Amino acid sequence: MSIQLLAFYCCAAILLLAALRVITAGNPVHAALWLVLAFFTAAGLWLLLYAEFLAVVLVLVYVGAVMVLFLFVVMMLDVNFDKLREGFWRHAPLAGGIGLLMALEMALVLASREFGAEGAPSPGAPPAGYSNTKELGRIVYTDYVFPFELAAVVLLVAIVAAIALTLRRRKETRYQDPAGQLAATKAGRLRIVKDAPAGGAAGEGE
Amino acid sequence: MNTATFSLAMLAPAFPEIALLALACVLLLADLFVSGRDRHAVFWLAIASLLACATLAGAITGNASAVTFHGMFVADPMSQVLKVAALLAAAVTLVYGRTWLERHGMLSGEFLSLSLFASLGMMVMISAHHFLTLYLGLELLALCLYAMVALERDSVRATEAAMKYFVLGALASGMLLYGMSMLYGATGSLDIARVAASLGGAGSSASLAAFGLVFVVAGIAFKLGAVPFHMWIPDVYQGAATPTTLFIGAAPKIAAFAFVMRLLAQALGGLGADWQQMLAILAVASIGLGNVVAIAQTNLKRMLAYSAISHMGFLLLGILAGTDNGYASAMFYVLTYVLMTLAAFGMILLLARAGFEAEELEDFRGLNRRSRWFAFVMLVVAFSLAGIPPAVGFLAKLAVLQAAFEAGYGWLVVYAVVMSVVGAFYYLRLVKLMYMDEPAGELAIGGRADMRLLLSVNAVAVLALGIVPGPLMDLCARAVTASL
Amino acid sequence: MIPLNHYLVLGALLFAIAVAGIFLNRKNLIVILMAIELMLLSVNMNFVAFSHFLGDPAGQVFVFFILTVAAAESAIGLAILVTLFRNLRSINVDDMGSLKG
Repeated sequence: MSIQLLAFYCCAAILLLAALRVITAGNPVHAALWLVLAFFTAAGLWLLLYAEFLAVVLVLVYVGAVMVLFLFVVMMLDVNFDKLREGFWRHAPLAGGIGLLMALEMALVLASREFGAEGAPSPGAPPAGYSNTKELGRIVYTDYVFPFELAAVVLLVAIVAAIALTLRRRKETRYQDPAGQLAATKAGRLRIVKDAPAGGAAGEGE
Repeated sequence: MNTATFSLAMLAPAFPEIALLALACVLLLADLFVSGRDRHAVFWLAIASLLACATLAGAITGNASAVTFHGMFVADPMSQVLKVAALLAAAVTLVYGRTWLERHGMLSGEFLSLSLFASLGMMVMISAHHFLTLYLGLELLALCLYAMVALERDSVRATEAAMKYFVLGALASGMLLYGMSMLYGATGSLDIARVAASLGGAGSSASLAAFGLVFVVAGIAFKLGAVPFHMWIPDVYQGAATPTTLFIGAAPKIAAFAFVMRLLAQALGGLGADWQQMLAILAVASIGLGNVVAIAQTNLKRMLAYSAISHMGFLLLGILAGTDNGYASAMFYVLTYVLMTLAAFGMILLLARAGFEAEELEDFRGLNRRSRWFAFVMLVVAFSLAGIPPAVGFLAKLAVLQAAFEAGYGWLVVYAVVMSVVGAFYYLRLVKLMYMDEPAGELAIGGRADMRLLLSVNAVAVLALGIVPGPLMDLCARAVTASL
Repeated sequence: MIPLNHYLVLGALLFAIAVAGIFLNRKNLIVILMAIELMLLSVNMNFVAFSHFLGDPAGQVFVFFILTVAAAESAIGLAILVTLFRNLRSINVDDMGSLKG
C-alpha cells in the first residue's frame, strides 16, 4: 500500500466520521465544529488530487468565513437545543434506512471496475513547474469570464437580500436628525391659539 | 496565450443581459436617493428597464444561433422568444402587484431590484450553453426568489414559506449538481454541444451517464414542481405575498422550460429513451395529484398551486414526446400558461383591499354583480386553465396531447384527458360562485386604471389566442426547429 | 495511486449522509443547512476527482463557482433563518404549522 493510499484512507475515514457527527450531534455548535473538521480533511483529499488552489480556498472560505457565519448565527439565536432533539430518534430508522439504501446503491454503481485503477488510469503527478493556481487563474479570467461576472452578481444579490432581510431600525432607538433641527423655524414650532371665552365653546371642547 | 481579447462582436449577443445588469445596478443606486413620493419613479424605472431589455432581446438576432463567451452563451431564435416573454411577464407582474406592494410598504428598491436580478437569472438560464451558466442562472433566479418570499418579513407565514422553499430548493440544486458531476465524468465536458456529441459517440461511459441522469431529472422535477417533488409549491404559493407568488408562478416557468430544453433535449438528447420514461412517470403523477387535490382546496392561491402542478405535468407531456413538434407544443403551452397565470393572480390582486386579501374562493362569490366585465375576465381565465374552448388553454392542451400521441404515448393521452375533465370541476365551481351566488356585500372594484386596462388586455389575449393561435404556434415551431 | 472509484464511492457516501441528515434533523434548520453544505462537498469531491482523472481543469473551475454560490446561498439561508426566528422565537420546524401541506 502506497503512502498516498494510506493517506487517502485515513482522510476518508475522518471525513465520513465527521460527516456522521454533523448530522447526529446534539448541539449545533458541535455540529458546526465537526463540519469544520470535515472541510479540513476534504481539503487534504483534494491535495492528493493536486488541486492545491481549491484546497486552500476551501479552508479559507469555508472554515474561515462560512462556518464562522454559522457559529455566529447559532450563538446569536439562543436556541433551546433540548427541544430541537425531541423526536430525533423517531426519524432515525427511516433516515438511516434511506441513507443506507442510497449509499449502497450508489456505491454499487460507482465501485465498478470501469472506474478502477485499470479502467481509469490516473494521469499521475503534473510536470515540474506546473502551478494549479496559475492554470485556474488563466482560464477563469478568459474562457470563464461570463460565469465569473455572474458569480459577482450572485454575491451582490446575496448582499442585497441579507441586508434587506435582517437590517431593521429599532423602534425604541432615538435618532438625531441635524437637518431637521436646522430647518426648524418659529412658524413650525409655535402656534398662537386664541383662547375662546369660557362657556362659549364648551360644546366644541368635548 | 495569456491574453484574452474581447471584441464588441463577442459581447453583442449578450447586450440584453448586460443592459439589464447595468439598469438593475442603476435602480439599486437610484433607490438610495429617492424617498417618499418619488418611489413611483423607481417603480417606473424598473418597468422601463424590463421593457427596454425585452425590446433589445427581440431586436438583436436574426435567425442564426450565435455562441459566444467561449461556448458559455448562446443566442438563438428560441432564446429570443423566451427572453422577450419572460421579461414582459416580469413587467406585467410588477404592474399587477404595484398597489398591493405599496399598501404593504414593500414597493421598495429591494423588491424591485431583486425582481430585476431574478429576470437576469432567467435570461441567463434561457441562453445557457454550458452546465456552469445553467447552474449560475438557476441559482441567481432561485436566490432572488427565496429573498423575495422572505421580504414580507413580519409575516410568519411568508418567512416559513421562504424557509421551506430555501431548504427544498437547495436540496434540488444539490441533486442537480450531483447529476451534472456524473455527466461530466461520463462525457468529459461541461459544454452542452460537446456533451451531446460525446453521448452520441464512443468514449463516454453509458452507466455513469444514466446514473447522473437520474439525479438531473430529480433536480429538474424539484424545480418544476412535478410530483413527487412538489411539496414546496402549495406552501410557497399560499405563504408568499400575492405579488411574489405571481412572480414565482409566471416568468420563472418560462426559464424552467428553457432549462429543461437545454439540459434534456440539447445536451442529453442521446439519452432520450431513458429520460422520456422518467418524465412519463412524473407527468402521470403530477396530472393526477394536481387535479384531484385541487378539488379539496378552499384557498384560491393554494388551488392555483395544485393547478400549476398539473399544468407542469402537461408541459412534461409535450417534452417527453421528444420531437420538434412536441418541443414546439410545450413551448406554446408554457407561454400561454404564463399568460393565464398572470391574469388569474391579477384578478386576486385587483380584488384585494386593505386588510382583505381576496385569496379565498368565497371572496369571488357574486363577482358578476360587482363587475360584469371582471367576472367575464375571470371566466375566460378559468375556462382557459381548465382547457375549455374557445380559450387558449384548450388548444395548448390539444397540442401537447397530439404530440404525445404521435410519439406513441396513447395511454398517457387518455389518462390526461380523463384527469383534465376531473380538473375542470374546480374551475367550474369558481364560475358558479361568481355567476350564480349573491355577493356578500356590494363593493365596487377599485384598482389603478393601468392595471385594469392591462388585465383586460391580458384576458382578451387569452381569448384571442384561442381563436387565432396560428401566429404564436408558428413562431414556436420556427424557433424550436431553428434552435435545435 | 488512488483509483477513481475510491473518490466516487466516498462522494456517494457523503451524499447519502447528507440526505439522511436532512431527514433526520427535520426539526433543526441549522443542521439542515449544514447537511446541504455536506451535499455540496460531495459534489465538489466528484468534480475535483473527475477533473484530475480527465486531465481537464474545467471541473475545478466548476468547483470554484459552486463554492462561491454556496457561500451566497448560506448567507441568504441564514438571513431567512434569522427573520423566521424573530417571528417564531424558535427554529423548531414543528412550530411551523400555519401552512399545512
